[in-house]
Amino acid sequence: MKRKDIVTGILVLLLIASISGFLLAQTFRVAKPRIEKQMKIEEEKLNREIFPEGNDFRADNFKGIKCTSVYDGQDAFIGRIFNLTAPGYGGNILVKAGIDSESRITGIRILEHKETPGLGSRITEASFLDQFRNRDSSTLFLKKDSPRGNIDAITGATISSRAVTDSVRKLQEQINDTDGETP
Amino acid sequence: MNRIFKPESFLKGVWQENPIFFLMLGLCPLLAVSSSLRDAIGMGAAFIFVLTGSNMTVSFIRKLVPEHVRIPVFIIVIATFVTVTDYSLAAFSPQLHKSLGVYLPLMVVNCILLGRAEAFASKNNVINSAFDGLGMGIGFTLAISIIAIIRETLGQGTLMGINVLGKDYVPFLIMIMPPGAFLVIGFLMALKNNIGGKKKC
Amino acid sequence: MLNELNIGYIFLSAFIVNNIVMIKFLGLCSFVGISTNMKSSIGMGIAVVFVTVMACGISWAVYNYLLIPFHLEYLRTVTFILTIASFVQFEEIIIRKKAPALYKAFGIYLPLITTNCVILASAFLGIDYKFNFLQNIIFAIGVSSGYCLAIILFASMREKLDTAPLPESFRGIPIAFIMTGLVSLVFLGFKGLFKL
Repeated sequence: MKRKDIVTGILVLLLIASISGFLLAQTFRVAKPRIEKQMKIEEEKLNREIFPEGNDFRADNFKGIKCTSVYDGQDAFIGRIFNLTAPGYGGNILVKAGIDSESRITGIRILEHKETPGLGSRITEASFLDQFRNRDSSTLFLKKDSPRGNIDAITGATISSRAVTDSVRKLQEQINDTDGETP
Repeated sequence: MNRIFKPESFLKGVWQENPIFFLMLGLCPLLAVSSSLRDAIGMGAAFIFVLTGSNMTVSFIRKLVPEHVRIPVFIIVIATFVTVTDYSLAAFSPQLHKSLGVYLPLMVVNCILLGRAEAFASKNNVINSAFDGLGMGIGFTLAISIIAIIRETLGQGTLMGINVLGKDYVPFLIMIMPPGAFLVIGFLMALKNNIGGKKKC
Repeated sequence: MLNELNIGYIFLSAFIVNNIVMIKFLGLCSFVGISTNMKSSIGMGIAVVFVTVMACGISWAVYNYLLIPFHLEYLRTVTFILTIASFVQFEEIIIRKKAPALYKAFGIYLPLITTNCVILASAFLGIDYKFNFLQNIIFAIGVSSGYCLAIILFASMREKLDTAPLPESFRGIPIAFIMTGLVSLVFLGFKGLFKL
């Protein structure tokens, strides 16, 4: 290979790489605010589904746990939304749960999971998640785990159902344990 | 080679040289995102865009690029288109972006893209290359959609999320899990061999 | 949270439970193309392990020490593929000079490796899972040995298949896929053992 060939090769590569870099930077500049906006809208929508009475959602920190504090139309505090991690069957399940000031569940959603499609993945369905609504978060158990259980596990997906149920109860226990301070 | 546009450059990708069934290229996204028709069409659309775009660009710059650096240049062009698609999807359709996951940026190493750039776009004019990309992309989308239709109806009893097999249908779950993808493509290939005769690919 | 993950868990999860070929569908092109022959499968497998581990280490460092500090995350795809491509070239030259015997054994597979999605995928996933450097390397070893396992397993099966009485239409690739499906079913049985 002649020296001239090497130089032109490097120049062409450099040129193409810088054009590509420039284009990508522009795309990123345009796309980034939109992506952030979309994420915000998504988050807001989710918060409203979990906490239908809520009006204002503010990032907060409660006893060392990151959460979102929820306020109603009169700016009065009515509860909190927590992000939980539950060890499921195929990996961690990310759960978002709303708990009002009397420690009742206002709503619960699954953000992410790696459960088996068609079995464990049914934890995202309303028929499972609606069972949680209005129950005291410290008394959540699967019916097959405890005589005072109140949640029906999904057929063929006990581990996934248990992970979600237990993670919410354990959160409440953790909150109760830290101290008796009223929220 | 004299005519500016040759219709066969478009048509061959759809069936005769269908990238999936005849050339056996680009199998990874094909199996990974074919468990639901919605994802499959999304992937197909992204793929058509990237392939047409990279084919046109490669063809446009083909005379400028010296022989010995052409592969890295093609890779940069493809990676740029893939990243642009990645960000646009994240901005306009976050749901789809999430379900395509890592398979979207992995399009960079999809053999169809580099293969078409090298085998077709670097030797043909911009218009023909665009149609070649379009044809190949549509061929890919067709293949992925066929697999997704089979897997989603059998595995979940739904199509595009709408129930089609009735409430009493007990889903054949294995179809939406990884083994189902391999089984479906295996049987489809056998079927293709059967009806298409023993064509050498 | 992932920092607490035991490296043994990471390895087994990447190696078997989330096997890159059987469960994640990656590396299929070379998988189908090469697994017809035992000897070339072993060569390709070893070459992939070698390149994946090195390339993942380098791209992890590039991402965390170059792209993040300068806010250039959007160049991830371009830089990774270029890193891998140039690393493969570089490696080919080094091996040819320093270890001709090794080069004879798997040198011809090296150029093919650039477009093997296993490498890029394991670089991407290592970043997505927010691994630290050691975890990332272990993960890369797990992923690539998983590929190695799958490809060698298949080579031995396909050598037997050549003599099996099969309907004409199923010969070759179709039956290979159907068998992959059955083996993938076995791998699915490991799900839930090790989580990631």
